Amino acid sequence: MPVYVEHAMGMPIVIEVRDGDAAEAVERVFDWFRFVDEMFSTYKDGSEISRLARDELALDDAQADVRDVLARCEELHGETDGYFDARAGGLLDPSGLVKGWSVDRAAAILDESGLRGYAVNAGGDIRVRGRWRVGIQHPTVRDRIAAVVEARDLAIATSGAYARGDHVLDPHSDGAPRGILSVTVVGPDLATADAYATAAFAMGGERGPRWTARLRGYDAMSILSDGRVLSTPGFPA
Amino acid sequence: MYATAPATVAKTVTKTVSGSIAQVDRWGELQLTLVVKKTTVGKKVTRRITAVKVPLFPNHTNRSIFINQQALPILEQEVLKAQLSTNIYMISGATDTSYAFVQSLQAAIVAAKKT
Repeated sequence: MPVYVEHAMGMPIVIEVRDGDAAEAVERVFDWFRFVDEMFSTYKDGSEISRLARDELALDDAQADVRDVLARCEELHGETDGYFDARAGGLLDPSGLVKGWSVDRAAAILDESGLRGYAVNAGGDIRVRGRWRVGIQHPTVRDRIAAVVEARDLAIATSGAYARGDHVLDPHSDGAPRGILSVTVVGPDLATADAYATAAFAMGGERGPRWTARLRGYDAMSILSDGRVLSTPGFPA
Repeated sequence: MYATAPATVAKTVTKTVSGSIAQVDRWGELQLTLVVKKTTVGKKVTRRITAVKVPLFPNHTNRSIFINQQALPILEQEVLKAQLSTNIYMISGATDTSYAFVQSLQAAIVAAKKT
């Protein structure tokens, strides 16, 4: 099975294809990721996001993709009671949505190329076509997994605080979330799944799992600091 | 004669108990299953719930409306386990934090497939 790996958007992106030779389609996908980086990177002074943040570019003059992503960030900010926040810390940074959104588009490119068995993994957030067994990283034992998701045509996003320390902050208290180690959300759309996972993790071990039980079309598994694993009944593990 | 204390041997039995199927208004059927670990030491019996599963739950298009109206999120509960990642092709992990691990693991998987 061919595996393609490239570094883009500041992370390794791994694409596995079961349909045989897909080099051309995969190259188009990596071109797409490089284009997204030029448009959305907060590290590149010339990106539209950087220019918007410096007020050099008006939102109405930005590319349609940029306007769409920022509009979706606003929607998700509302859907998650403010826990998903592209302006946390006072700076415009839609990276939390851009990764999933760009993988969703990448999947559309692979679909259009006629591929029916592939997996795209962008820094631990995944979208698969066909049936795949996807491991959920164990939050404290590095070389183990905590669960196996039997995925079929699915997006899988995990948010957590392990490895490099606390990464997601609760925007309402500016502290690290309490009582929770990681949240995995699965559903049709990776951008949404990723935003939900980030929000549920930021909510902490009390509120987060309860909030995931109310999601429409998405299922979740939360790993709490006390070793309990709480899943919504439709979670495919 | 030596007085020997009777050896206290803990006996552990794990049982899965299913609740009855309940009709939840017009939304559908709901059933709960508990996994109970029963430990017997001498005459002392301890029972601990190790997992709560929901094998049957209202799952039609109005499920979320049901959940919202009940204000009772349904969640299954288990104990965290550390499993080996055999037969796994992709690992989902915390965004931005686990690149090194994901990378090395995936490199290992790629290598393993070639052997």
